[in-house]
Amino acid sequence: MFQNRAEAFALVLPAAVFAGVTFLVPVVVLLSEGFRGADGWTIQAYIDFFSHPLNRTVFVRTLKLAAMVTAVAAVIGYAAAFAIVNLPPKGKGRMIGLVVLPLMISPVARTYAWIVILGRTGIVNQALTSIGLSDEPIRFLFTETAVFIGLLQLFLPLMIISLVSALENMPRDAVPAARVLGANWFQVFWKVILPLTREGLVIGGTLVFTGSMTAYITPAILGGSKVLMLETLLYQRVTVANDFVAASVIALILIVMAFAANLLLKRLATARNKR
Amino acid sequence: MSRLYTPTILGLVLLFLIGPFVIIIAASLSAGETLAFPPDGLSLRWVIKVFEVESFRTSFGISMFLAIGGTLAALVLGIPAAYALARYKVPFGETIRTVVSAPIIVPGIIVGLALLRYLVVPFQFGILPALFLAHTALILPYAVRVVSASLNNLRGDIEEAAVLLGSSRTGAFFRVVMPNIRGGILAAFILGFVTSFNQVPVSLFLSGPGVRTLPIDMLAYMEITYDPSVAALSALLAFMSLGIVFLAERFLGFSRYV
Repeated sequence: MFQNRAEAFALVLPAAVFAGVTFLVPVVVLLSEGFRGADGWTIQAYIDFFSHPLNRTVFVRTLKLAAMVTAVAAVIGYAAAFAIVNLPPKGKGRMIGLVVLPLMISPVARTYAWIVILGRTGIVNQALTSIGLSDEPIRFLFTETAVFIGLLQLFLPLMIISLVSALENMPRDAVPAARVLGANWFQVFWKVILPLTREGLVIGGTLVFTGSMTAYITPAILGGSKVLMLETLLYQRVTVANDFVAASVIALILIVMAFAANLLLKRLATARNKR
Repeated sequence: MSRLYTPTILGLVLLFLIGPFVIIIAASLSAGETLAFPPDGLSLRWVIKVFEVESFRTSFGISMFLAIGGTLAALVLGIPAAYALARYKVPFGETIRTVVSAPIIVPGIIVGLALLRYLVVPFQFGILPALFLAHTALILPYAVRVVSASLNNLRGDIEEAAVLLGSSRTGAFFRVVMPNIRGGILAAFILGFVTSFNQVPVSLFLSGPGVRTLPIDMLAYMEITYDPSVAALSALLAFMSLGIVFLAERFLGFSRYV
Protein backbone atom coordinates (compact mmCIF):
# COMPACT_ATOMS: atom_id res chain seq x y z
CA MET A 1 0.00 0.00 0.00
CA PHE A 2 1.32 3.40 -0.98
CA GLN A 3 0.27 6.30 1.22
CA ASN A 4 0.71 9.33 -1.04
CA ARG A 5 -2.76 10.88 -1.31
CA ALA A 6 -1.88 13.42 -3.98
CA GLU A 7 -0.52 10.71 -6.25
CA ALA A 8 -3.55 8.50 -5.64
CA PHE A 9 -5.88 11.36 -6.51
CA ALA A 10 -3.96 12.22 -9.66
CA LEU A 11 -4.36 8.63 -10.83
CA VAL A 12 -8.09 8.21 -10.19
CA LEU A 13 -9.19 11.74 -10.97
CA PRO A 14 -9.32 11.52 -14.80
CA ALA A 15 -11.54 8.43 -14.72
CA ALA A 16 -13.76 9.79 -11.93
CA VAL A 17 -14.19 13.20 -13.58
CA PHE A 18 -14.88 11.58 -16.95
CA ALA A 19 -17.55 9.27 -15.53
CA GLY A 20 -19.02 12.17 -13.55
CA VAL A 21 -19.24 14.59 -16.48
CA THR A 22 -20.28 12.25 -19.30
CA PHE A 23 -22.44 9.99 -17.21
CA LEU A 24 -23.49 10.94 -13.71
CA VAL A 25 -24.38 14.63 -14.22
CA PRO A 26 -26.42 14.21 -17.45
CA VAL A 27 -28.32 11.23 -16.02
CA VAL A 28 -29.11 13.05 -12.76
CA VAL A 29 -30.30 16.13 -14.65
CA LEU A 30 -32.48 13.92 -16.84
CA LEU A 31 -34.00 12.26 -13.77
CA SER A 32 -34.66 15.61 -12.11
CA GLU A 33 -36.69 16.71 -15.11
CA GLY A 34 -39.51 14.36 -14.08
CA PHE A 35 -39.93 16.20 -10.76
CA ARG A 36 -39.92 19.72 -12.15
CA GLY A 37 -43.26 21.52 -12.19
CA ALA A 38 -44.36 25.03 -13.16
CA ASP A 39 -43.87 26.13 -9.56
CA GLY A 40 -41.25 24.03 -7.80
CA TRP A 41 -40.82 20.31 -7.32
CA THR A 42 -43.73 17.94 -7.84
CA ILE A 43 -44.54 14.28 -8.47
CA GLN A 44 -47.35 15.21 -10.86
CA ALA A 45 -45.50 13.61 -13.80
CA TYR A 46 -45.53 10.27 -11.99
CA ILE A 47 -49.23 10.53 -11.21
CA ASP A 48 -49.92 11.39 -14.85
CA PHE A 49 -47.77 8.53 -16.05
CA PHE A 50 -49.48 5.88 -13.97
CA SER A 51 -52.98 7.22 -14.58
CA HIS A 52 -52.58 6.34 -18.26
CA PRO A 53 -53.82 2.75 -18.86
CA LEU A 54 -51.28 2.07 -21.66
CA ASN A 55 -48.39 3.03 -19.39
CA ARG A 56 -49.70 0.81 -16.61
CA THR A 57 -50.03 -2.10 -19.04
CA VAL A 58 -46.46 -1.62 -20.25
CA PHE A 59 -45.15 -1.34 -16.69
CA VAL A 60 -46.90 -4.53 -15.56
CA ARG A 61 -45.94 -6.37 -18.76
CA THR A 62 -42.28 -5.48 -18.31
CA LEU A 63 -42.22 -6.79 -14.74
CA LYS A 64 -44.20 -9.89 -15.69
CA LEU A 65 -42.00 -10.81 -18.67
CA ALA A 66 -38.80 -10.21 -16.68
CA ALA A 67 -40.09 -12.38 -13.81
CA MET A 68 -41.23 -15.16 -16.17
CA VAL A 69 -37.94 -15.19 -18.08
CA THR A 70 -36.03 -15.34 -14.79
CA ALA A 71 -38.16 -18.21 -13.44
CA VAL A 72 -37.98 -20.31 -16.61
CA ALA A 73 -34.26 -19.59 -17.00
CA ALA A 74 -33.73 -20.81 -13.41
CA VAL A 75 -35.54 -24.11 -14.08
CA ILE A 76 -33.73 -24.78 -17.38
CA GLY A 77 -30.54 -23.43 -15.83
CA TYR A 78 -30.55 -25.96 -12.99
CA ALA A 79 -31.33 -28.83 -15.35
CA ALA A 80 -28.51 -27.82 -17.72
CA ALA A 81 -26.01 -26.93 -15.00
CA PHE A 82 -26.46 -30.38 -13.40
CA ALA A 83 -25.76 -32.11 -16.66
CA ILE A 84 -22.71 -29.89 -17.32
CA VAL A 85 -21.19 -30.37 -13.87
CA ASN A 86 -21.37 -34.15 -14.23
CA LEU A 87 -19.51 -34.18 -17.55
CA PRO A 88 -15.85 -35.24 -17.72
CA PRO A 89 -13.49 -32.19 -17.45
CA LYS A 90 -12.79 -31.85 -21.18
CA GLY A 91 -16.43 -32.06 -22.18
CA LYS A 92 -17.32 -29.63 -19.41
CA GLY A 93 -14.95 -26.96 -20.73
CA ARG A 94 -16.26 -27.35 -24.28
CA MET A 95 -19.87 -27.26 -23.16
CA ILE A 96 -19.34 -24.09 -21.11
CA GLY A 97 -17.63 -22.55 -24.13
CA LEU A 98 -20.65 -23.37 -26.33
CA VAL A 99 -23.07 -21.93 -23.77
CA VAL A 100 -21.07 -18.69 -23.42
CA LEU A 101 -20.46 -18.31 -27.16
CA PRO A 102 -23.79 -16.59 -27.99
CA LEU A 103 -23.00 -13.85 -25.45
CA MET A 104 -20.23 -12.62 -27.74
CA ILE A 105 -22.48 -12.31 -30.77
CA SER A 106 -24.47 -9.18 -31.63
CA PRO A 107 -27.88 -9.25 -29.92
CA VAL A 108 -29.36 -7.84 -33.13
CA ALA A 109 -28.17 -10.92 -35.00
CA ARG A 110 -29.36 -13.20 -32.22
CA THR A 111 -32.82 -11.68 -32.17
CA TYR A 112 -33.10 -11.48 -35.96
CA ALA A 113 -32.90 -15.27 -36.16
CA TRP A 114 -36.28 -15.50 -34.45
CA ILE A 115 -37.91 -13.62 -37.32
CA VAL A 116 -36.81 -16.42 -39.63
CA ILE A 117 -38.12 -19.00 -37.20
CA LEU A 118 -41.37 -17.42 -36.00
CA GLY A 119 -42.38 -15.33 -39.03
CA ARG A 120 -45.46 -15.94 -41.22
CA THR A 121 -43.44 -18.14 -43.57
CA GLY A 122 -41.06 -19.23 -40.83
CA ILE A 123 -40.12 -22.75 -39.84
CA VAL A 124 -42.70 -23.12 -37.09
CA ASN A 125 -45.57 -22.06 -39.32
CA GLN A 126 -44.39 -24.25 -42.21
CA ALA A 127 -44.26 -27.22 -39.87
CA LEU A 128 -47.69 -26.49 -38.39
CA THR A 129 -49.40 -26.11 -41.77
CA SER A 130 -47.66 -29.09 -43.37
CA ILE A 131 -48.73 -31.51 -40.67
CA GLY A 132 -52.21 -30.04 -40.80
CA LEU A 133 -52.34 -28.60 -37.30
CA SER A 134 -53.26 -25.21 -38.64
CA ASP A 135 -54.84 -24.07 -41.90
CA GLU A 136 -53.32 -20.62 -42.03
CA PRO A 137 -50.12 -19.21 -40.54
CA ILE A 138 -50.36 -18.31 -36.87
CA ARG A 139 -49.03 -14.91 -35.84
CA PHE A 140 -46.13 -15.42 -33.46
CA LEU A 141 -44.21 -12.25 -34.19
CA PHE A 142 -45.29 -9.15 -32.28
CA THR A 143 -46.71 -11.23 -29.43
CA GLU A 144 -45.57 -11.50 -25.83
CA THR A 145 -44.62 -15.12 -26.52
CA ALA A 146 -42.10 -14.05 -29.17
CA VAL A 147 -40.57 -11.45 -26.85
CA PHE A 148 -40.43 -14.04 -24.07
CA ILE A 149 -38.62 -16.57 -26.28
CA GLY A 150 -36.19 -13.94 -27.53
CA LEU A 151 -35.34 -12.73 -24.03
CA LEU A 152 -34.95 -16.28 -22.73
CA GLN A 153 -32.49 -17.13 -25.48
CA LEU A 154 -30.58 -13.90 -24.87
CA PHE A 155 -30.14 -14.32 -21.11
CA LEU A 156 -30.22 -18.08 -20.42
CA PRO A 157 -26.40 -18.42 -20.74
CA LEU A 158 -25.91 -15.99 -17.82
CA MET A 159 -28.09 -18.17 -15.58
CA ILE A 160 -26.41 -21.41 -16.67
CA ILE A 161 -22.86 -20.20 -16.00
CA SER A 162 -23.84 -18.74 -12.60
CA LEU A 163 -25.42 -22.05 -11.59
CA VAL A 164 -22.54 -24.14 -12.94
CA SER A 165 -20.05 -22.30 -10.75
CA ALA A 166 -22.41 -22.53 -7.75
CA LEU A 167 -22.84 -26.29 -8.22
CA GLU A 168 -19.09 -26.76 -8.61
CA ASN A 169 -18.48 -25.04 -5.28
CA MET A 170 -20.95 -27.31 -3.52
CA PRO A 171 -19.39 -30.01 -1.29
CA ARG A 172 -19.01 -33.13 -3.47
CA ASP A 173 -20.63 -35.55 -1.02
CA ALA A 174 -23.66 -33.46 0.03
CA VAL A 175 -26.01 -35.05 -2.50
CA PRO A 176 -24.93 -38.70 -2.01
CA ALA A 177 -25.11 -38.18 1.76
CA ALA A 178 -28.69 -36.92 1.57
CA ARG A 179 -29.60 -39.83 -0.74
CA VAL A 180 -28.07 -42.39 1.65
CA LEU A 181 -30.05 -40.87 4.49
CA GLY A 182 -33.23 -41.50 2.54
CA ALA A 183 -34.12 -38.21 0.88
CA ASN A 184 -35.91 -38.39 -2.48
CA TRP A 185 -34.76 -36.25 -5.42
CA PHE A 186 -37.33 -33.56 -4.67
CA GLN A 187 -36.11 -33.27 -1.06
CA VAL A 188 -32.48 -33.35 -2.20
CA PHE A 189 -33.09 -30.39 -4.46
CA TRP A 190 -35.20 -28.40 -2.02
CA LYS A 191 -33.26 -29.07 1.20
CA VAL A 192 -29.69 -29.55 0.00
CA ILE A 193 -28.97 -28.19 -3.46
CA LEU A 194 -31.10 -25.05 -3.39
CA PRO A 195 -29.75 -23.70 -0.08
CA LEU A 196 -26.17 -24.50 -1.10
CA THR A 197 -26.43 -22.86 -4.53
CA ARG A 198 -28.63 -19.94 -3.50
CA GLU A 199 -25.89 -17.42 -4.09
CA GLY A 200 -25.35 -18.53 -7.68
CA LEU A 201 -29.09 -18.48 -8.28
CA VAL A 202 -29.26 -14.95 -6.91
CA ILE A 203 -26.41 -13.73 -9.12
CA GLY A 204 -27.85 -15.39 -12.22
CA GLY A 205 -31.37 -14.25 -11.33
CA THR A 206 -30.32 -10.63 -10.90
CA LEU A 207 -28.48 -10.63 -14.23
CA VAL A 208 -31.40 -12.20 -16.09
CA PHE A 209 -34.08 -10.10 -14.41
CA THR A 210 -32.43 -6.71 -14.84
CA GLY A 211 -31.25 -7.68 -18.32
CA SER A 212 -34.79 -8.59 -19.42
CA MET A 213 -36.32 -5.57 -17.77
CA THR A 214 -33.99 -3.13 -19.48
CA ALA A 215 -33.87 -4.93 -22.83
CA TYR A 216 -34.42 -2.81 -25.90
CA ILE A 217 -33.51 -4.86 -28.98
CA THR A 218 -35.72 -7.89 -28.31
CA PRO A 219 -39.01 -6.03 -27.69
CA ALA A 220 -38.16 -3.65 -30.54
CA ILE A 221 -37.68 -6.44 -33.12
CA LEU A 222 -40.03 -9.15 -31.84
CA GLY A 223 -42.64 -7.02 -30.10
CA GLY A 224 -42.84 -3.90 -32.21
CA SER A 225 -45.41 -1.31 -31.19
CA LYS A 226 -47.88 -4.06 -30.27
CA VAL A 227 -45.86 -5.40 -27.35
CA LEU A 228 -44.17 -2.35 -25.86
CA MET A 229 -41.85 -2.74 -22.89
CA LEU A 230 -40.53 0.13 -20.78
CA GLU A 231 -37.47 0.83 -22.97
CA THR A 232 -39.37 0.70 -26.26
CA LEU A 233 -42.05 2.91 -24.68
CA LEU A 234 -39.37 5.40 -23.64
CA TYR A 235 -37.99 5.47 -27.18
CA GLN A 236 -41.46 5.93 -28.61
CA ARG A 237 -42.37 8.75 -26.21
CA VAL A 238 -39.24 10.67 -27.23
CA THR A 239 -39.27 10.06 -30.98
CA VAL A 240 -43.03 10.27 -31.57
CA ALA A 241 -44.19 12.79 -28.99
CA ASN A 242 -41.00 14.59 -27.90
CA ASP A 243 -42.21 13.86 -24.38
CA PHE A 244 -39.08 14.17 -22.25
CA VAL A 245 -41.01 14.25 -18.99
CA ALA A 246 -42.43 10.76 -19.59
CA ALA A 247 -38.95 9.65 -20.68
CA SER A 248 -37.53 10.90 -17.41
CA VAL A 249 -40.24 9.07 -15.45
CA ILE A 250 -39.53 5.80 -17.27
CA ALA A 251 -35.79 6.30 -16.80
CA LEU A 252 -36.19 6.63 -13.04
CA ILE A 253 -38.49 3.59 -12.90
CA LEU A 254 -35.89 1.51 -14.78
CA ILE A 255 -33.00 2.67 -12.61
CA VAL A 256 -34.93 2.20 -9.34
CA MET A 257 -36.08 -1.27 -10.37
CA ALA A 258 -32.58 -2.30 -11.43
CA PHE A 259 -31.14 -1.21 -8.08
CA ALA A 260 -34.09 -2.65 -6.13
CA ALA A 261 -33.71 -6.03 -7.82
CA ASN A 262 -30.05 -6.03 -6.87
CA LEU A 263 -30.76 -5.15 -3.24
CA LEU A 264 -33.73 -7.45 -2.79
CA LEU A 265 -31.99 -10.49 -4.19
CA LYS A 266 -28.87 -9.74 -2.15
CA ARG A 267 -31.00 -9.55 0.98
CA LEU A 268 -32.72 -12.86 0.14
CA ALA A 269 -29.38 -14.54 -0.28
CA THR A 270 -27.94 -13.40 3.04
CA ALA A 271 -31.16 -14.03 5.00
CA ARG A 272 -31.16 -17.67 3.93
CA ASN A 273 -27.50 -18.21 4.60
CA LYS A 274 -27.80 -17.07 8.21
CA ARG A 275 -30.14 -19.87 9.22
CA MET B 1 -30.51 -40.36 -12.74
CA SER B 2 -31.29 -41.80 -16.11
CA ARG B 3 -28.43 -42.17 -18.56
CA LEU B 4 -30.37 -40.27 -21.20
CA TYR B 5 -30.73 -37.20 -19.01
CA THR B 6 -27.41 -35.50 -19.81
CA PRO B 7 -27.43 -35.79 -23.62
CA THR B 8 -31.12 -34.90 -23.88
CA ILE B 9 -31.03 -31.78 -21.76
CA LEU B 10 -27.74 -30.52 -23.18
CA GLY B 11 -28.89 -31.23 -26.73
CA LEU B 12 -32.08 -29.26 -26.20
CA VAL B 13 -30.28 -26.33 -24.57
CA LEU B 14 -27.73 -26.15 -27.38
CA LEU B 15 -30.48 -26.41 -29.98
CA PHE B 16 -32.18 -23.42 -28.37
CA LEU B 17 -29.00 -21.37 -27.93
CA ILE B 18 -27.03 -22.21 -31.09
CA GLY B 19 -29.75 -23.47 -33.45
CA PRO B 20 -30.93 -19.98 -34.47
CA PHE B 21 -27.43 -19.17 -35.80
CA VAL B 22 -27.41 -22.23 -38.00
CA ILE B 23 -30.74 -21.10 -39.41
CA ILE B 24 -29.51 -17.57 -39.99
CA ILE B 25 -26.43 -18.83 -41.81
CA ALA B 26 -28.59 -21.07 -43.99
CA ALA B 27 -31.10 -18.29 -44.69
CA SER B 28 -28.30 -15.92 -45.70
CA LEU B 29 -27.15 -18.36 -48.40
CA SER B 30 -30.55 -18.26 -50.06
CA ALA B 31 -30.84 -17.47 -53.78
CA GLY B 32 -34.41 -16.21 -53.36
CA GLU B 33 -35.69 -12.67 -52.93
CA THR B 34 -37.10 -12.96 -49.41
CA LEU B 35 -36.03 -14.34 -46.10
CA ALA B 36 -36.81 -18.03 -45.94
CA PHE B 37 -35.76 -21.26 -44.32
CA PRO B 38 -35.02 -23.69 -45.84
CA PRO B 39 -33.41 -21.33 -48.40
CA ASP B 40 -34.64 -21.25 -52.03
CA GLY B 41 -31.50 -22.57 -53.69
CA LEU B 42 -27.99 -21.64 -52.72
CA SER B 43 -26.00 -18.54 -53.64
CA LEU B 44 -23.67 -15.97 -52.20
CA ARG B 45 -25.60 -13.03 -53.66
CA TRP B 46 -26.78 -11.69 -50.29
CA VAL B 47 -23.36 -12.03 -48.74
CA ILE B 48 -21.97 -9.99 -51.64
CA LYS B 49 -24.83 -7.51 -51.37
CA VAL B 50 -23.81 -6.74 -47.76
CA PHE B 51 -20.52 -5.33 -49.00
CA GLU B 52 -22.26 -3.29 -51.68
CA VAL B 53 -24.67 -1.46 -49.39
CA GLU B 54 -23.13 1.97 -48.89
CA SER B 55 -24.67 2.60 -45.45
CA PHE B 56 -23.42 -0.71 -44.07
CA ARG B 57 -19.87 0.20 -45.09
CA THR B 58 -20.06 3.63 -43.44
CA SER B 59 -21.68 2.37 -40.25
CA PHE B 60 -19.22 -0.52 -40.02
CA GLY B 61 -16.40 2.03 -40.11
CA ILE B 62 -18.06 4.11 -37.40
CA SER B 63 -18.67 1.08 -35.18
CA MET B 64 -15.04 -0.01 -35.62
CA PHE B 65 -13.79 3.48 -34.77
CA LEU B 66 -15.96 3.63 -31.64
CA ALA B 67 -15.09 0.13 -30.50
CA ILE B 68 -11.33 0.52 -30.95
CA GLY B 69 -11.02 4.22 -30.02
CA GLY B 70 -13.50 4.03 -27.16
CA THR B 71 -11.82 0.99 -25.68
CA LEU B 72 -8.36 2.58 -25.91
CA ALA B 73 -9.66 5.76 -24.25
CA ALA B 74 -11.34 3.70 -21.52
CA LEU B 75 -8.07 1.86 -20.90
CA VAL B 76 -6.07 5.10 -20.73
CA LEU B 77 -8.50 6.35 -18.07
CA GLY B 78 -9.14 3.00 -16.43
CA ILE B 79 -5.64 1.53 -15.97
CA PRO B 80 -4.33 4.36 -13.71
CA ALA B 81 -7.62 4.35 -11.78
CA ALA B 82 -7.53 0.57 -11.29
CA TYR B 83 -3.86 0.84 -10.24
CA ALA B 84 -4.57 3.56 -7.69
CA LEU B 85 -7.58 1.69 -6.28
CA ALA B 86 -5.52 -1.49 -5.92
CA ARG B 87 -2.26 -0.05 -4.56
CA TYR B 88 -3.05 3.23 -2.79
CA LYS B 89 -5.29 4.23 0.06
CA VAL B 90 -7.54 6.39 -2.09
CA PRO B 91 -9.75 8.86 -0.21
CA PHE B 92 -13.40 8.06 -1.06
CA GLY B 93 -12.13 5.00 -2.91
CA GLU B 94 -15.43 3.11 -2.70
CA THR B 95 -17.43 6.11 -3.93
CA ILE B 96 -15.10 6.55 -6.87
CA ARG B 97 -15.37 2.86 -7.70
CA THR B 98 -19.16 3.13 -7.67
CA VAL B 99 -19.20 6.24 -9.89
CA VAL B 100 -16.84 4.66 -12.39
CA SER B 101 -18.78 1.39 -12.57
CA ALA B 102 -22.31 2.87 -12.54
CA PRO B 103 -22.68 2.81 -16.37
CA ILE B 104 -22.96 -0.99 -16.14
CA ILE B 105 -26.12 -0.81 -14.00
CA VAL B 106 -27.86 2.20 -15.53
CA PRO B 107 -29.62 1.26 -18.80
CA GLY B 108 -27.72 2.54 -21.85
CA ILE B 109 -30.76 4.14 -23.45
CA ILE B 110 -30.89 6.63 -20.56
CA VAL B 111 -27.22 7.55 -20.95
CA GLY B 112 -27.72 8.13 -24.68
CA LEU B 113 -30.80 10.27 -24.14
CA ALA B 114 -29.14 12.32 -21.39
CA LEU B 115 -26.11 13.05 -23.58
CA LEU B 116 -28.31 14.02 -26.52
CA ARG B 117 -30.40 16.35 -24.42
CA TYR B 118 -27.74 18.06 -22.30
CA LEU B 119 -24.63 17.89 -24.46
CA VAL B 120 -25.45 17.57 -28.16
CA VAL B 121 -28.49 19.85 -28.37
CA PRO B 122 -27.51 22.78 -26.10
CA PHE B 123 -23.80 22.94 -26.97
CA GLN B 124 -23.96 21.98 -30.66
CA PHE B 125 -21.70 19.08 -29.74
CA GLY B 126 -21.13 16.69 -32.67
CA ILE B 127 -22.93 13.34 -32.73
CA LEU B 128 -19.76 11.38 -33.38
CA PRO B 129 -17.79 12.86 -30.44
CA ALA B 130 -20.86 12.35 -28.23
CA LEU B 131 -21.05 8.70 -29.33
CA PHE B 132 -17.35 8.40 -28.58
CA LEU B 133 -17.83 9.75 -25.04
CA ALA B 134 -20.84 7.50 -24.43
CA HIS B 135 -19.03 4.37 -25.61
CA THR B 136 -15.95 5.25 -23.54
CA ALA B 137 -18.10 5.72 -20.42
CA LEU B 138 -19.78 2.40 -21.12
CA ILE B 139 -16.50 0.48 -21.48
CA LEU B 140 -14.77 2.17 -18.53
CA PRO B 141 -16.34 -0.14 -15.88
CA TYR B 142 -15.14 -3.24 -17.75
CA ALA B 143 -11.65 -1.79 -18.14
CA VAL B 144 -11.40 -0.93 -14.43
CA ARG B 145 -12.83 -4.26 -13.33
CA VAL B 146 -10.74 -6.57 -15.49
CA VAL B 147 -7.50 -4.64 -14.91
CA SER B 148 -8.25 -4.51 -11.15
CA ALA B 149 -8.69 -8.28 -11.12
CA SER B 150 -5.32 -8.87 -12.71
CA LEU B 151 -3.65 -6.31 -10.42
CA ASN B 152 -5.08 -8.10 -7.41
CA ASN B 153 -3.48 -11.31 -8.62
CA LEU B 154 -0.10 -9.60 -8.78
CA ARG B 155 1.86 -9.21 -5.57
CA GLY B 156 2.24 -5.56 -4.60
CA ASP B 157 5.68 -6.01 -3.09
CA ILE B 158 7.46 -6.52 -6.40
CA GLU B 159 6.99 -2.83 -7.24
CA GLU B 160 8.04 -1.86 -3.75
CA ALA B 161 11.17 -3.93 -4.32
CA ALA B 162 11.77 -2.13 -7.64
CA VAL B 163 11.36 1.25 -5.93
CA LEU B 164 13.72 0.25 -3.11
CA LEU B 165 16.27 -0.81 -5.69
CA GLY B 166 16.25 2.72 -7.08
CA SER B 167 13.58 2.73 -9.80
CA SER B 168 11.17 5.64 -9.91
CA ARG B 169 7.47 4.95 -9.22
CA THR B 170 6.62 5.51 -12.88
CA GLY B 171 9.53 3.39 -14.01
CA ALA B 172 8.43 0.59 -11.71
CA PHE B 173 4.94 0.76 -13.14
CA PHE B 174 6.02 0.57 -16.77
CA ARG B 175 8.86 -1.93 -16.34
CA VAL B 176 7.50 -4.19 -13.61
CA VAL B 177 3.72 -3.91 -13.39
CA MET B 178 2.73 -3.42 -17.04
CA PRO B 179 4.47 -6.54 -18.41
CA ASN B 180 2.73 -8.59 -15.72
CA ILE B 181 -0.80 -7.34 -16.37
CA ARG B 182 -0.51 -7.35 -20.18
CA GLY B 183 -2.87 -10.34 -20.42
CA GLY B 184 -5.49 -8.59 -18.31
CA ILE B 185 -5.25 -5.44 -20.41
CA LEU B 186 -5.70 -7.41 -23.62
CA ALA B 187 -8.67 -9.24 -22.13
CA ALA B 188 -10.18 -5.89 -21.12
CA PHE B 189 -9.59 -4.62 -24.65
CA ILE B 190 -11.40 -7.56 -26.24
CA LEU B 191 -14.29 -7.39 -23.77
CA GLY B 192 -14.60 -3.63 -24.32
CA PHE B 193 -14.42 -4.01 -28.09
CA VAL B 194 -17.15 -6.65 -28.23
CA THR B 195 -19.35 -4.71 -25.77
CA SER B 196 -19.05 -1.48 -27.72
CA PHE B 197 -19.43 -3.05 -31.15
CA ASN B 198 -22.64 -4.87 -30.19
CA GLN B 199 -24.07 -1.98 -28.19
CA VAL B 200 -27.47 -0.67 -29.27
CA PRO B 201 -29.31 1.27 -26.52
CA VAL B 202 -26.55 3.84 -25.90
CA SER B 203 -26.34 4.71 -29.59
CA LEU B 204 -30.08 4.73 -30.19
CA PHE B 205 -30.63 8.43 -29.61
CA LEU B 206 -27.14 9.42 -30.73
CA SER B 207 -27.68 8.98 -34.45
CA GLY B 208 -27.67 11.69 -37.03
CA PRO B 209 -27.48 12.09 -40.77
CA GLY B 210 -24.68 9.81 -41.94
CA VAL B 211 -23.68 8.92 -38.39
CA ARG B 212 -25.01 5.56 -37.28
CA THR B 213 -23.46 2.54 -35.67
CA LEU B 214 -23.77 -0.76 -37.52
CA PRO B 215 -26.36 -2.42 -35.22
CA ILE B 216 -28.57 0.70 -35.42
CA ASP B 217 -28.21 0.70 -39.19
CA MET B 218 -29.25 -2.97 -39.26
CA LEU B 219 -32.34 -2.21 -37.19
CA ALA B 220 -33.28 0.58 -39.59
CA TYR B 221 -32.65 -1.56 -42.68
CA MET B 222 -34.72 -4.38 -41.22
CA GLU B 223 -37.75 -2.13 -40.96
CA ILE B 224 -37.86 -1.32 -44.67
CA THR B 225 -36.72 -4.53 -46.36
CA TYR B 226 -37.31 -8.20 -45.88
CA ASP B 227 -34.43 -9.51 -47.98
CA PRO B 228 -31.80 -11.90 -46.59
CA SER B 229 -29.00 -9.30 -46.53
CA VAL B 230 -29.48 -8.60 -42.80
CA ALA B 231 -29.26 -12.35 -42.21
CA ALA B 232 -26.03 -12.43 -44.22
CA LEU B 233 -24.62 -9.51 -42.27
CA SER B 234 -25.68 -11.11 -38.97
CA ALA B 235 -23.90 -14.30 -39.98
CA LEU B 236 -20.75 -12.36 -40.94
CA LEU B 237 -20.76 -10.49 -37.62
CA ALA B 238 -21.26 -13.73 -35.71
CA PHE B 239 -18.21 -15.19 -37.47
CA MET B 240 -16.21 -12.05 -36.71
CA SER B 241 -17.05 -12.29 -32.97
CA LEU B 242 -16.28 -15.99 -32.93
CA GLY B 243 -12.97 -15.39 -34.65
CA ILE B 244 -11.96 -12.76 -32.10
CA VAL B 245 -12.98 -14.93 -29.16
CA PHE B 246 -11.28 -18.00 -30.63
CA LEU B 247 -7.99 -16.14 -31.16
CA ALA B 248 -8.20 -14.59 -27.70
CA GLU B 249 -8.83 -17.96 -26.07
CA ARG B 250 -6.05 -19.56 -28.10
CA PHE B 251 -3.36 -17.02 -27.31
CA LEU B 252 -4.49 -15.63 -23.97
CA GLY B 253 -6.70 -18.13 -22.23
CA PHE B 254 -9.24 -15.31 -22.35
CA SER B 255 -11.80 -17.11 -20.15
CA ARG B 256 -9.47 -16.80 -17.15
CA TYR B 257 -10.07 -13.07 -17.08
CA VAL B 258 -13.80 -12.74 -17.63
